[in-house]
Amino acid sequence: MACVNPVPKLYRSVIEDVIEGVRDLFAEEGIEEQVLKDLKQLWETKVLQSKATEDFFRNSIHSPLFTLQLPNSLHQTLQSSTASLVIPAGRPLPSFTTAELSTSNSSASFTFPGYPIHVPAGVTLQTASGHLYKVNVPIMVTQTSGRASILHPIQQVFQQLGQPSVIQSSVPQLNPRSLHATAEKPKRIETVLQQPTILHSGTVDRKHLENATSDILAPPGNEHEIMSEALLSQPESSQYIRLPGVVFPPQVSQTHVHGEPVLGVAGSMTQNLNGGPLSTGRQGAQHQHMSDIQLRVLKNRMFGCGSVKQPRNTEEPSSLPVSEKDSNSQMDLSIQVMDDDINEIIQIDGTGDTSSNDEIGSTRDVEENEFLGIIDAGDLKVLEEEADSISNEDSTANSSDNEDPQIDVVEEDPLNSGDDVSEQDVPDLFDTDNVIVCQYDKGAPQDPSLTEGPIQLRTSAKQMTNHSPSR
Amino acid sequence: MAYQLYRNTTLGNSLQESLDELIQSQQITPQLAFQVLLQFDKAINSALVQRVRNRVNFRGSLNTYRFCDNVWTFVLNDAEFREVTELIKVDKVNIVACDGINTGSNTTE
Repeated sequence: MACVNPVPKLYRSVIEDVIEGVRDLFAEEGIEEQVLKDLKQLWETKVLQSKATEDFFRNSIHSPLFTLQLPNSLHQTLQSSTASLVIPAGRPLPSFTTAELSTSNSSASFTFPGYPIHVPAGVTLQTASGHLYKVNVPIMVTQTSGRASILHPIQQVFQQLGQPSVIQSSVPQLNPRSLHATAEKPKRIETVLQQPTILHSGTVDRKHLENATSDILAPPGNEHEIMSEALLSQPESSQYIRLPGVVFPPQVSQTHVHGEPVLGVAGSMTQNLNGGPLSTGRQGAQHQHMSDIQLRVLKNRMFGCGSVKQPRNTEEPSSLPVSEKDSNSQMDLSIQVMDDDINEIIQIDGTGDTSSNDEIGSTRDVEENEFLGIIDAGDLKVLEEEADSISNEDSTANSSDNEDPQIDVVEEDPLNSGDDVSEQDVPDLFDTDNVIVCQYDKGAPQDPSLTEGPIQLRTSAKQMTNHSPSR
Repeated sequence: MAYQLYRNTTLGNSLQESLDELIQSQQITPQLAFQVLLQFDKAINSALVQRVRNRVNFRGSLNTYRFCDNVWTFVLNDAEFREVTELIKVDKVNIVACDGINTGSNTTE
């Protein structure tokens, strides 16, 4: 009994109990059984991916990270191989040995542990979490670091296009909402790889997808350079969009430049199997990357503009050289922005703290970089002053600062603030990934092997369990 | 009502994330998600009581201790968690412990 890891079984049993327990709830609400299955699938996937248990599903359910659902008209089978797996469109393939054929809707579902995989256009991909993605251009799926990634051969696509299409300065404004990656809808087919298709067709219309706002306006004939921002924060392979099994369409975002149009394109991530945390992290990276691209664009266009944010370079030195390296091979995308949009983009973080203005200023720079990209030096100063005045107003309700934003505010620490040392520890002290949640039992018989103490903890949390005393 | 203590675990967090995704896609209502979490609380609490018999000893340097609202919060540095089969060392671990009385009136994390 000691050598068997009880955690996977425990998790499985809890999941089963919960799903069974809410089955009636779902039925009462009139929700389909499929949603319940989706919930279970999502839950299991996340637990599996969290690596909380190594062999969570190894012995029970074969849960693939990636499922390919082929269109009804294609009778395609996949050939398993350790080398690349090619799926030619419209041609039958040898059968996949471990494939799970589902006869519903005449579509075939396959799982392939063998990477990389070439997927032609017109195929619908479904991730394990149930999200559907339709492939418009040929993509190649590889597996890196034990996770599936989708490589986006933008280079290939651009070569096919011939002359790089560019964007005119009269491009209509982009909705600032495009900056934010929203959550995806399962079972909704999204067009992925929007950028190549739009560039290819040269359309100017904007397609607003609920989940992926990859609006790229590229009428051909412009002399500007288009820079495809298929890059994410991964510096090692700038040509690829790395995802845990999900495709990230490039995303266009707006930037504000005072008096001169500046554009930027940022690859963004709309969905991933990991859900929230990862997407948040990626969103941050996306914005950072956006500013990197804009830095490059600005360098080419605006001379002597001191608004290029150097702190951004220090924060992501790896990605910037990569993007510079690819500048010759990629096209720069320029988008015109308006002053109104920057007001919407600005997110002034009213922290309400009384920290020094220097800290606020530098934090402002970081946050503004994430959302605004290049800002003119003059504008930035005004923005900082506005931000400072707002934050001061929030924290102290003191109107004196608001009246004089031009004057540098001297650091005014509260009296005897040096005596307070605990404040420095508290914010970081509890910031750890190792958290044990448990229950304690007062007055339980003490175990002599434990350290002395009036209270004996019985830990019963993730990865570690303990015997709970009879109550 | 059982403790909502275990929602901040791998199992609990992944459930919450999954529910959030379904809410975002409007496949379920937030109220239903809340009910699911309540069910999870019951399930995990009873599972830990009934199905778990392991014992883990741990030792570390106590950085902070806090007892507030009948909830103990410890921060341990350089802790070792010793089970029969394995030993785990961590630089920092945060322990949150609720009262083990089975009334469940204090539903705090």
